[in-house]
Amino acid sequence: MSTLKKYIGLSVIAGLLMVSCNPLELDQIDDPNNPSVGSVSENASRSQIQFLITGLESRHRDYVENVSRAWNTFGREIWYLNGSDPRFQTDWLGQAGREPDRVYFGFGSTGGGSWADPYQAIRQANVLISAAENTGNLSAEEQAAISGFARMIQGYQFMIPANFVYENGIRIDVEDPLNPGPYVSYEAGMEHSRSLLETADELLQTAGSGDFPFTLTPGFAGFTSLERIREINNAILARTNTYLEDWEGVLTALDNSFMDLEGDLQAGPAHPYTGAPDLFNPLFYIRDAAINTIVVVHPSVLEDATEGDARVAEKFFEREEPVIITTDATPLVGTHQDNRWPSNTTPIPFIRNEELILLKAEAHAQLGETDLAVQAINVIRNAAEIGDYTGATDQASLIDEILYQRRYSLWAEPWGHRWIDARRYGRLDEIDTSFDQGSIFLQFPHPQAEVNWDIYAED
Amino acid sequence: MSNLYRFSLVMFLSLLSMGWTHAQYSVSGIITDERTGDPMIGASILVRNTTKGTVTDLDGRFNLNFDDNASATLVISSLGYLSQNIDVGPNTNTTLSVALQEDATNLEEVVVTGLASSVKRSNLANAVSSVSSRELTGTTTIQTTDGALYGKIAGANIRSNGGAPGGGLSIQLRGISSLTGASQPLIILDGVYINNSFQRTGRATVTGAGNESQDDGSNRLADLNPADIETIEVLKGPSAAAIYGTRANAGVIIITTKRGAEGKTKVSLSQDIGFAQPLRLLGTDDWSEEKINAFFPEDRRPLELQRFREGTRIDYEDYFYNNTALLSNTRLTVSGGSEKTKFYVSGNINSEDGTVKNTGFDRFSLRANLDHNITDKIKLGISSNYIKSTSDRGFTGNQNNSGASIGYSMAYIPNYFDIRPDENGVYPTNPYFSENPAAVTDHAENTSDVQRFVQAFTLDIDLFSNSNSFLKANVAGGLDFLQNSTLIYLPEFLQYQRGQANPGDVFWGKQESFNTNFQAALVYNFNLGKVNMNSQAGMVRLDFSNSSLFNRGRGLVPGQTNLQQASVQEIAEQYTSEVQEAGIFLQQEANFEDKIIGTVGVRWDKSTLNGDPNQYYSFPRASLALNLANFDFWNSGFMNQLKPRIAYGETAGPVEFGNTFSRLEGANIGGLLGSVVGLQIGNTQIRPETATELEFGVDFGFLNNRFALEATYYIKNTQNNIQDLNLAPSTGVNTVPSNEAELQNKGLELSLSGTVVDQANFNWFTRIMYWQNRVNMTRLGIPQYNLGAFGTGLGTFYYAEDFAPTTIIGTPADSDHPSGFTVWGNAQPKFNTSFYNTMRIYNNLELSFLVEWRQGGDNINLTSFLSDSGGTTNGWFEDDNNDGVPNGRQRPPAPYNNAGRWVQDASFVKVREIGLFYTLPKASVSNAFGNALEGVRLGMSVNNAFLFSDYDGYDPETSTFGARSVDNNVDIAPYPTPRRIFFHVNLDF
Repeated sequence: MSTLKKYIGLSVIAGLLMVSCNPLELDQIDDPNNPSVGSVSENASRSQIQFLITGLESRHRDYVENVSRAWNTFGREIWYLNGSDPRFQTDWLGQAGREPDRVYFGFGSTGGGSWADPYQAIRQANVLISAAENTGNLSAEEQAAISGFARMIQGYQFMIPANFVYENGIRIDVEDPLNPGPYVSYEAGMEHSRSLLETADELLQTAGSGDFPFTLTPGFAGFTSLERIREINNAILARTNTYLEDWEGVLTALDNSFMDLEGDLQAGPAHPYTGAPDLFNPLFYIRDAAINTIVVVHPSVLEDATEGDARVAEKFFEREEPVIITTDATPLVGTHQDNRWPSNTTPIPFIRNEELILLKAEAHAQLGETDLAVQAINVIRNAAEIGDYTGATDQASLIDEILYQRRYSLWAEPWGHRWIDARRYGRLDEIDTSFDQGSIFLQFPHPQAEVNWDIYAED
Repeated sequence: MSNLYRFSLVMFLSLLSMGWTHAQYSVSGIITDERTGDPMIGASILVRNTTKGTVTDLDGRFNLNFDDNASATLVISSLGYLSQNIDVGPNTNTTLSVALQEDATNLEEVVVTGLASSVKRSNLANAVSSVSSRELTGTTTIQTTDGALYGKIAGANIRSNGGAPGGGLSIQLRGISSLTGASQPLIILDGVYINNSFQRTGRATVTGAGNESQDDGSNRLADLNPADIETIEVLKGPSAAAIYGTRANAGVIIITTKRGAEGKTKVSLSQDIGFAQPLRLLGTDDWSEEKINAFFPEDRRPLELQRFREGTRIDYEDYFYNNTALLSNTRLTVSGGSEKTKFYVSGNINSEDGTVKNTGFDRFSLRANLDHNITDKIKLGISSNYIKSTSDRGFTGNQNNSGASIGYSMAYIPNYFDIRPDENGVYPTNPYFSENPAAVTDHAENTSDVQRFVQAFTLDIDLFSNSNSFLKANVAGGLDFLQNSTLIYLPEFLQYQRGQANPGDVFWGKQESFNTNFQAALVYNFNLGKVNMNSQAGMVRLDFSNSSLFNRGRGLVPGQTNLQQASVQEIAEQYTSEVQEAGIFLQQEANFEDKIIGTVGVRWDKSTLNGDPNQYYSFPRASLALNLANFDFWNSGFMNQLKPRIAYGETAGPVEFGNTFSRLEGANIGGLLGSVVGLQIGNTQIRPETATELEFGVDFGFLNNRFALEATYYIKNTQNNIQDLNLAPSTGVNTVPSNEAELQNKGLELSLSGTVVDQANFNWFTRIMYWQNRVNMTRLGIPQYNLGAFGTGLGTFYYAEDFAPTTIIGTPADSDHPSGFTVWGNAQPKFNTSFYNTMRIYNNLELSFLVEWRQGGDNINLTSFLSDSGGTTNGWFEDDNNDGVPNGRQRPPAPYNNAGRWVQDASFVKVREIGLFYTLPKASVSNAFGNALEGVRLGMSVNNAFLFSDYDGYDPETSTFGARSVDNNVDIAPYPTPRRIFFHVNLDF
């Protein structure tokens, strides 16, 4: 065996001598395509912070497509007709008794745009806050501005999973990926959202005045000052307080928001879509396109419309050829398409003056302040060219009226207002399913991946 | 490699024979082919248990001198022939005339088993499958090399994306070795680690089908001209492939190309002309007024009834798929050489249309293989191959919204509506779907243009030799450079494009990969008493780099595909990766007189893909074969071989590039660039997937190896299988790669072959192979999950402990089953059997055919799902249970319309290859052509001749998801598989 060893030794040496460098030595290979998350954790530069802020705006927008299509279908504001995949009809409409399960179509095992995406925005905000706090390149005011902005986005985003699973509750302690906290109730989730927005409010005040110290996308056009961002924060807080039925809190928040009874109802911050390399507006469809995948107006929305309602004329476009989908269950016919987007680069607002005025009406109605409620309702009605409110002014009638106006004012916004509104007033059974023989969902169970994690963590 | 081996042996032995001038006696003789009587050039004559020997010359003659008077045993052998042992002595057998028999059962062939060694099959301890050029391409002409392996390897499960020209096949050897990777074998071409990836084209992006696994791209083995191949050896599992280390979990396919031989220069020209038609069509449903009233909503019925009454009936399946495609394959080879230099040069022009209009595959290949003896002791081998291959694969398969899939759109068009272009070339708007598939077929483009260069070299150096031992060095390596330019183009006037804000969509891709590998080894061969020892040691270095750039343009100037003619220009993807690996190996073989053959070896590998790039992982192996029939006590004439064998080995599967990274990804919004936290947390502890395999079996040879039976059982366990551990998505990250799962594959492989009839005028060789595999998830390590296809509503796959991951589950919910759903099937076949026959009549006529039968194995057939939605499935309006609901709206099993309706048994019998060839008698050739021609061979053949199956699809072997390891058996409107019929002419000059 000694000869063997000799030759083994020789062979290795010979192998090494064959080439000038050592062929057994490997180079360090870093990710050639992306920076690492670790690169911003210590002493991030100002440009790295800027990239994280823009990244947060990007994550903040990820929910739009899924929530707009699915939740607005659940509330029968629209149908998302899809000729290529019938499950957008059968499953999303709850046909043949289908009930949301943990890996429901369109949401996958992570809950997709209604669960995972908002939580990704929340994580992005956490990484941003941590980067801003661990760098010497920012002033204390700048740090407060960034943290305030990030907390505001978190406050907004937490409401999405909360409304998705409703009574099943959400996790609010989500900082450590390997140790997520327990589920808390819907109310506790909303309170967490409120507390984030309140923290944001304080931080934005601490940050001083003037412009936000970093560049925001055109979605924040007109809202780039710290003061205006605080107004957005309060607008979001008004929505949160509504879900918490804290009606005084709604009014206080509205006072500090950009609500303007005389102002443009469209005013508000938006998710921008500027086209490649950015995305296009995912809700845009060209008129009369001969396609079979398209968002159409739900027939009940057309049927229930008030004659002469300017919103109907503005938002709904009657197609020359209806879109017909013939799948498993009954055929669905879409006669009108979404007319809100002049182009595929139109931004999509995420909270508007019109909603704030309706929240004001609702809060006053709930507090028994009838006149103030009617006054706000009339702002909306007159804008829609249907004249002042003449109905009964008891609380129930006012709420009926406000919910009706919300259906048309906030039609198919990326929030699923009708579904959430009907649920919080216990009116899910009033949603019309006669056109599609489907059913109305109350809520979703926790996504499978969430449940699986708990099983895994237990082992 | 076997040719190379043969000629290096020739050279080596000639060298050795020079020294013996003081002979005490000599043996001379002539070696001939038993059947033809022709003298055999280069047959080897070896004195048993020594390194002494010689080879026959151009006339088949040899002379061997002995320097003492001791008697000896000569082993006379030649590649492809059964060897013979002849005792010689000063007074016995000094003049020999030996006729060698063809080795029909391949027991004598030399099999490459190590990185620098090979072994005779009869001494092999593993079931290594070999496919010779004759088996590979001798029966018919197959487009791609992997396509030519169907039914020829026990233990291989081969699946094709569909019938689109230009390949797209995946091979699984001995079941599933990886849950996340493709589980595709490592492919080594003349020593070069070649790229066999399924490359992205972007079709699935443009059509909306999904990610690149639905691109229906080709795997790049398609570039290799199958006619250049001399042999393919398949190391099916870790026990045989351990010495290949990190990349061998799914087996290794070793491809060796043809090389030149000393002697007269041979020129050979072959031309195949053929045509293709779909192997199977399904038919589409006819319509009636009653059916229209049942199918369409009330408002729509008058219009449909009017269309029905006025329209002509068009069979769209026939219109789109049932076209005759022209196939042509031209090959020219020149080979020959002198004692010092030998060459094999080949050119190939392959031009094949598809059965769908405007599809096809063209390949131009040039190869030059050179062998040169630099000195008596240094031999250089060079193999160079340039390839240009172009494919147009058209638009089939899945899509979303865009309608850019023929089969998908077609499923919705009733046969009374005419979508064909009018006399002005205007395509009617398709009112039933978002696109007019006729316009897509005629005007959309899906092309891939590959330029490739593969270069290999080997340098063999004889460092030392004496009569009892030798030491050789082998340095080998090579490179594979591949550039693939892809284009997906949907012109602006298409129906769906007109409905877009920016009509016209073009998607350009450029992918480059550059692989290099280098290997250096020392081989020391010596005799320890009666035991021949072969020691090897060496090192291996591998480098892989890939880069891709995809650009997309939308809003095109009419007729233009240049990106700068697009109003929206976008970088769709840029991705680069770089991998470096290094390994060291040691191997010791011991052979006791061909009676007991043992091997032990180990390889250590490290890779930059691993969490710790400097950690060496070790892969040991050991094997033992006993040739009982070679022992002296054996005296059965009937059974001349009985070889129990056992082998054990370990290998690994590589970690995917990037598994260690936690990324900040780029995200554009509102004119700004953002950095977003990626959804994966990198695992800096990630290890390669490892596999251990124990294989044992018995080989039998009967009647002087006229019949052979090989039986093998294997148990392959994989550990550290990589899968994504799903994190709680509420933490804002989704996955971290984990090494938790473990799989077990157990299987049986049987092969019975032999010459059933061996008469002068009729020779019939047959081979039956049987193989089966059972996979089981022995450990999951993370919570059970469902993955693959399209969710539980349409059938998906269940990953849980003690289940095969090929288990198909789906609705309705079943609380009694741990998955919560009903089990509807299993993608894994129960068994496969293949039956190969070749018959030779009067030495001139040769008939071969290959049949394969697969029993079991279910597909998720969503093609039927689409046509049911569109009302066009053949028999849609029939009502089997007479309940008033048509079949198309009520598919069993009850309760109706659950996932079970799409899970279908994909058992089949396929006559894969039939070939009939006639070799003109030499006399007639010389009469007719004089000396201009040496040989003429004519033939005709069929590839995919017949399919027998109850499966309701174009091909039970389809795979929408390309090479995915588990969930590939999904059928979504694939390109129908063609039946190919050829006529062949082969001229030797």
